[in-house]
Amino acid sequence: MLINLRINLQERGRIVVIVLTLVLFSFLTCYFQFYFGKIPISSLSSLYYLHNSSHPSYLSYISIFLTSVWWKKKRIWFAPAFLTILLIFIQLLFITFGFKRYSDYFLLVMFIFVIVIVAFLGERIEKVKSLSDLNEKLDKERSKLEDANKELDAFAYSVSHDLRVPLRAIDGFSRILVEDYEDKLDKEGKRLINIVRGNTMKMGQLIDDILQLSRVGRQEMRISEINMEALVKNVYEELKSSSNKNILLKVKSLPPAYGDRILIQQILINLLSNSIKFTKSGETAVIEVGSKKGHDENIYYIRDHGVGFDMKYVNKLFGLFQRLHSQEEFEGTGVGLSIVQRIIRRHGGRVWGEGKVDGGATIYFTLPSEL
Amino acid sequence: MDLDEIEILLVEDNPTDAELTIRALKKKNLTNNLVWVKDGAEALEFLYATGSYSKRNIEGIPKLILLDLRMPKVDGLEVLQIIKKDERTKKIPVVILTSSKEDKDIVESYKLGVNSYVSKPVEFDEFTEAVSTLGLYWMLLNKPPE
Repeated sequence: MLINLRINLQERGRIVVIVLTLVLFSFLTCYFQFYFGKIPISSLSSLYYLHNSSHPSYLSYISIFLTSVWWKKKRIWFAPAFLTILLIFIQLLFITFGFKRYSDYFLLVMFIFVIVIVAFLGERIEKVKSLSDLNEKLDKERSKLEDANKELDAFAYSVSHDLRVPLRAIDGFSRILVEDYEDKLDKEGKRLINIVRGNTMKMGQLIDDILQLSRVGRQEMRISEINMEALVKNVYEELKSSSNKNILLKVKSLPPAYGDRILIQQILINLLSNSIKFTKSGETAVIEVGSKKGHDENIYYIRDHGVGFDMKYVNKLFGLFQRLHSQEEFEGTGVGLSIVQRIIRRHGGRVWGEGKVDGGATIYFTLPSEL
Repeated sequence: MDLDEIEILLVEDNPTDAELTIRALKKKNLTNNLVWVKDGAEALEFLYATGSYSKRNIEGIPKLILLDLRMPKVDGLEVLQIIKKDERTKKIPVVILTSSKEDKDIVESYKLGVNSYVSKPVEFDEFTEAVSTLGLYWMLLNKPPE
């Protein structure tokens, strides 16, 4: 329905242009005909020419008509250019057969002029039309996106609320079972219940992580200048308190970045906690944070000397729920680096990793160096 | 139980969550005068002594309302709005006890004048700890207006 209406409007615009051009052209040709003394002023009517089929101006009507027909299919300039060349050829023929030279030349010049104007106008109109069409499409797409976003919001809300309720029940009641029937449960019974509870916890963590992933994608960004050196140190201090590993943090001088402070902090939390997690306990290990200057971007890196990873699987590094270590070795849900990637992409940056089994891992990411 | 001398009104549509909450409060002996209603509509009927609670004395207001957010019929935010707008009930401390950790729920609840917002932990020990702490605080430590 809507599309039909649009085509009709376009057709109507085209017809108006053609008619107006025809009228303008008739008057101009008549005027020049009169000027060169071919017809009396009283017969200033385009109809006059319709009877005179051998006259070049009659051909011009046909050519304008043809132009309008061709518009739709060919490139807009093609038809007038072609007709002009044709007309020059015809004009030459007419001259050979004895038409008055200057008046016909005048007609030809007028004709070319009018054709050019028509084509120009037509193109303008088409452009404006296609622009407004594009705007309309964009509007539609935007409202679709808004709908999708709202749906996603509702989905995330439902996940955060509805999935946690049964989990709490599973954990709570298996615990109540242990409390209230302790004397009836043997060691194996308690072990089994603990497996149930352990898995409930994992599921809870998974829900929290997925929600966080969805949140970092939706949250509005507030871009400001961020002192990366200070932020790295702050984040590390907080993370260190919950770890008993022997780690030395080396922060080189870092240029400031432009981004959303909360999101960038999240990147650093995820990357630094990974580095801490994958560093073996025992001897002192170094985590190094540094930067390089890129082309209108800053490249930051976080390097650890932990268990590293096999470069064979590097393409899985940032995949959602992808883990390169078993649950027994290192706990985790495989969402952390996905979150990092999503945040970096929202800032228009890139992120990649390098690693070696037992040789540590380095995660690089870029952030804009200017607003 | 005397419905006119209720201390805690628990508004919770999920029976397992309600049972866990009551169990946690029971450990601190806070459930002697507790009424559990299953949705927002029933909560309003109870508070304003209408519908199935029309025989209740409207003067007997609870000392604490524990309110879930997502409930059938009338949800928690609507209940909160009505309670806080009504002169008879606006002084009752209301604690939102919900699974939602969404910012917009927290912000909206405080805008409507909630006294406290607690997100229910999934882990049982944390959950028990959270519920019994808030029970003790609001029932024993907090001094309500006379």
